[in-house]
Amino acid sequence: MAISHEAHTVKQFDVQLANLRNMVLEMGGLVEDQIKCAIAALDQEDLSAAREVIARDRIINGLQVKADEDCVSIIALRQPLGSDLRTIMSLANSVTDLERIGDSAKKIARMTLQMYDGANSPPSGKLLRDVRPIAELASGMLRGCLDALARLDVGKALSIIHNDDELDQEFQSALRRLITYMMEDPRTIGHAINVVFIIKALERIGDHCTNIAEHIVYLVEGKNIQQRRNIDMSTILTLAQDETEKGIKE
Amino acid sequence: MNKPTAREGATPLRGRNIKTIVNAGLARRHAAERRFRWYGLIAISLGLAFVVLMFANIIGKGSPAFWQTYIRVPISFDAAALDPEGKRDPQALASADYAALVRAGLRQMFPAVEGRLPLRALSALTSSDAAYELQRRVQDNPGLIGTQQEVWLLASAAVDTFVKGNIDRSLPEAERPLKDSQIEWIDQLRAAGKIERQFNAVLFRNGDSREPEQAGIRGALMGSFFTLVVTFLLSFPIGVATAVYLEEFAPKNRWTDIIEVNINNLAAVPSIVFGLLGLAVFINFFGLPRSAPLVGGLVLSLMTLPVIIIAGRAALTSVPPSIREAALGMGASKLQMVGHHVLPLAMPGMLTGSIIGMARALGESAPLLMIGMVAFIVDVPKNFLDPSTVLPVQIYLWSDLPERAFVERTSAAIMVLLAFMILMNGLAILLRKRFERRW
Amino acid sequence: MSTTAIDTQVALNGALNRNAPLRQSAGVQVTDYENRQTVGKITVDNPKMVCREVNVHYGQKHAIKNVSLDIGANEVIAFIGPSGCGKSTFLRCLNRMNDTIPTARVTGQIKLDDDDIHAKEIDVVQLRARVGMVFQKPNPFPKSIYENVAYGPRIHGMVNTKAELDDLVRESLERAGLIKEVEKRMLEPGTSLSGGQQQRLCIARAIAVNPEVILMDEPCSALDPIATAKIEELIDELRENYTIVIVTHSMQQAARVSQRTAYFHLGDLIEIGDTDQIFTNPRHKLTEDYITGRFG
Repeated sequence: MAISHEAHTVKQFDVQLANLRNMVLEMGGLVEDQIKCAIAALDQEDLSAAREVIARDRIINGLQVKADEDCVSIIALRQPLGSDLRTIMSLANSVTDLERIGDSAKKIARMTLQMYDGANSPPSGKLLRDVRPIAELASGMLRGCLDALARLDVGKALSIIHNDDELDQEFQSALRRLITYMMEDPRTIGHAINVVFIIKALERIGDHCTNIAEHIVYLVEGKNIQQRRNIDMSTILTLAQDETEKGIKE
Repeated sequence: MNKPTAREGATPLRGRNIKTIVNAGLARRHAAERRFRWYGLIAISLGLAFVVLMFANIIGKGSPAFWQTYIRVPISFDAAALDPEGKRDPQALASADYAALVRAGLRQMFPAVEGRLPLRALSALTSSDAAYELQRRVQDNPGLIGTQQEVWLLASAAVDTFVKGNIDRSLPEAERPLKDSQIEWIDQLRAAGKIERQFNAVLFRNGDSREPEQAGIRGALMGSFFTLVVTFLLSFPIGVATAVYLEEFAPKNRWTDIIEVNINNLAAVPSIVFGLLGLAVFINFFGLPRSAPLVGGLVLSLMTLPVIIIAGRAALTSVPPSIREAALGMGASKLQMVGHHVLPLAMPGMLTGSIIGMARALGESAPLLMIGMVAFIVDVPKNFLDPSTVLPVQIYLWSDLPERAFVERTSAAIMVLLAFMILMNGLAILLRKRFERRW
Repeated sequence: MSTTAIDTQVALNGALNRNAPLRQSAGVQVTDYENRQTVGKITVDNPKMVCREVNVHYGQKHAIKNVSLDIGANEVIAFIGPSGCGKSTFLRCLNRMNDTIPTARVTGQIKLDDDDIHAKEIDVVQLRARVGMVFQKPNPFPKSIYENVAYGPRIHGMVNTKAELDDLVRESLERAGLIKEVEKRMLEPGTSLSGGQQQRLCIARAIAVNPEVILMDEPCSALDPIATAKIEELIDELRENYTIVIVTHSMQQAARVSQRTAYFHLGDLIEIGDTDQIFTNPRHKLTEDYITGRFG
């Protein structure tokens, strides 16, 4: 592939690129931890842990700002071309996706606070049954993503894009189940909606991971595979909608 | 990766103060520089001193030659003596005895002088040219006949030398060219204001002569002029054409290399060799006349050609290649490129080279000795085939003569030659300054 | 701290090389430095000049090795590459400027439209009128601005009257975007202009003979950024009427002005392709190394 393993003539450029990449990976690690904590807080009904997750989102936002600044300064000062340009663009885009993933973690924590605020009875266990496998799928994807990013592993990135389909299906079936619960017992609707938000957030994490994987493929191969994916996604969504409508009619 | 560490690690001077190291050697360096400046200054002042000495010497010796002593003599243009038949026949006027008029005039001024020898001494005060001067006047203006005139007549060389203070009157009479009586007369004339120094027009009017007061450089100047005209007309076009061909058109191969080496060698050939060549080829083989400016010009062309070619090529190479590329890139042919752009830009340089070559030719004497331009020639040459001599050769000839007046004239001729040299070099500098393009 | 960063970078890059072969969808990727075959599409649909298997020798030195490429009509094509890669040499083949170098020997076929430029019936003077050239250093003739522009039409006998020539000079200066600056000083020497103006004067001089192709050999290397920007804007405007081949050391400039880019290395045409592809995703490792500043 058209990425060189040789060092740049200007060594400082290598240093800057490495710093940027390290920062993105560090941010990825932080985001991964956030999701883990958010899910754990939900599991253990630990409100203070959930609050902590919300508070820590600021750090991630700060990192995003810093990474963006670095990207801009490298572009301005080094005028990168070829693989360097792709690296910077991919990292900049990935940073945005990571930040969104961080937001998703915050959203889960917020839902946790809402569900266990003490004003209502806590949700029944069956509503939350689907959250754990979906969360595991999502954080698995994120871990894979960061791994692929660290090693610039296109094979892994492509497998992550594939994984997203599985996550989507899980999400669809979970959604369907929640609808069933809500139809059975309208009193659960309040909590069920919160759970829908949570699994929706997890599903979004999968989408962002897919994006990051696409950025990695672009970085390494110089090919933009997003276009094709978007078409796939829209067909998937239409299909899912149809399914849902069918389910509702039944 | 922090910089100071990297620097210290890389240099063996770690821990030493660069400032003190440099300062320690600074005095020595400055001293060396000052010394060098002094050497240069001494060399230049030495050179300048020699130049000043030379000029002072030449000017000191030569400048009196531009002034010549004249004696005011009353002349009665007696019709009976000059034109006894009264026909104003030019033939008759030419053959009349003007010397007698001069003698009569002198006797009129010093009536006390008697005897053959004293009289001869008296008439020796004026130059033999005095009679010719009167003849010229009468021929120019026959109306003078029958009148009485006071005429400034050229004094003899001995009188001139004495008046210029170059004869010591304390010497015994036998050891100086003037007798006591003559010195007395001169003193009397001087007291009466009848002896005077005037601008020496003779020097620029006459050709060579055995009599110093009548000798001039006109013949040599004209000879030099004709010779240089021939030289310039031949060597400039041929030299420029050769330079352009060799530099712009000739293929670079062994033949052109050989030609180039030979041209460079020719420039270093002693000039007398060209004289021998001229003698063998132009005079003996082609049968051209000896002592002619034409042959001199041919020989000097041979000598200046290499100089002009080398200067021309240098001027051509100094034209930036970007101009050539620009012209070629526009689709100009090679000749157009050379004619429209390269040659005009190189011309000042070529002209400068040529003028300096011509100045060298002007100062050259050795090769001309070989082709007989060293003869004693009284008549001023009128064309390219008249026997003539040139200025440096004239100087050489005069420098051989013992008379004090000729020593003076030698220096005067050198001054004229130097003036022309400076003029030509000045012209070269002017041309370069005027037309040199900055690009 | 920085040393660690570099190590990480090298480690990352090292990891990269151990990757399994990728699924390929578009184009070849050349990772082998030894592969000197041209990567990318050398042909265009609407060629103005067609070069096939061009070789140039300078004495013993093989300066251009088997280069084949098309130059499309009304396109700006940029030649990039490190010094001594042969890009200028190749450019000079296109109007036979190499003829002026005695030791240069050019073989192969170069066609302008349908004429072989080395054919007997094509005189070099005619060729250079059709393929104009602008040089690295602005080189106006040491004559007036007017004379500079009038020179080409005059030597080729393109105009009959003074009025025609005046019009042609004006129009050329106008197209070169210089007319406003020199309108009142047509008779001043061309060398009195600033560097950028001189270069535009040289462009005006080149387009005065209405060439089909304009070759530019690093036209902005001696200019400041503003003068450079003016020339680049001019190149973009001229593209409408002319085909332009530009050699440049500045990759940014190649990226800004050209539609296609060719990368030369040690006499080989390594890669050719659309400019945005060359600069974002070069296919040959040599190209990548060059444009990302990893050369040597």
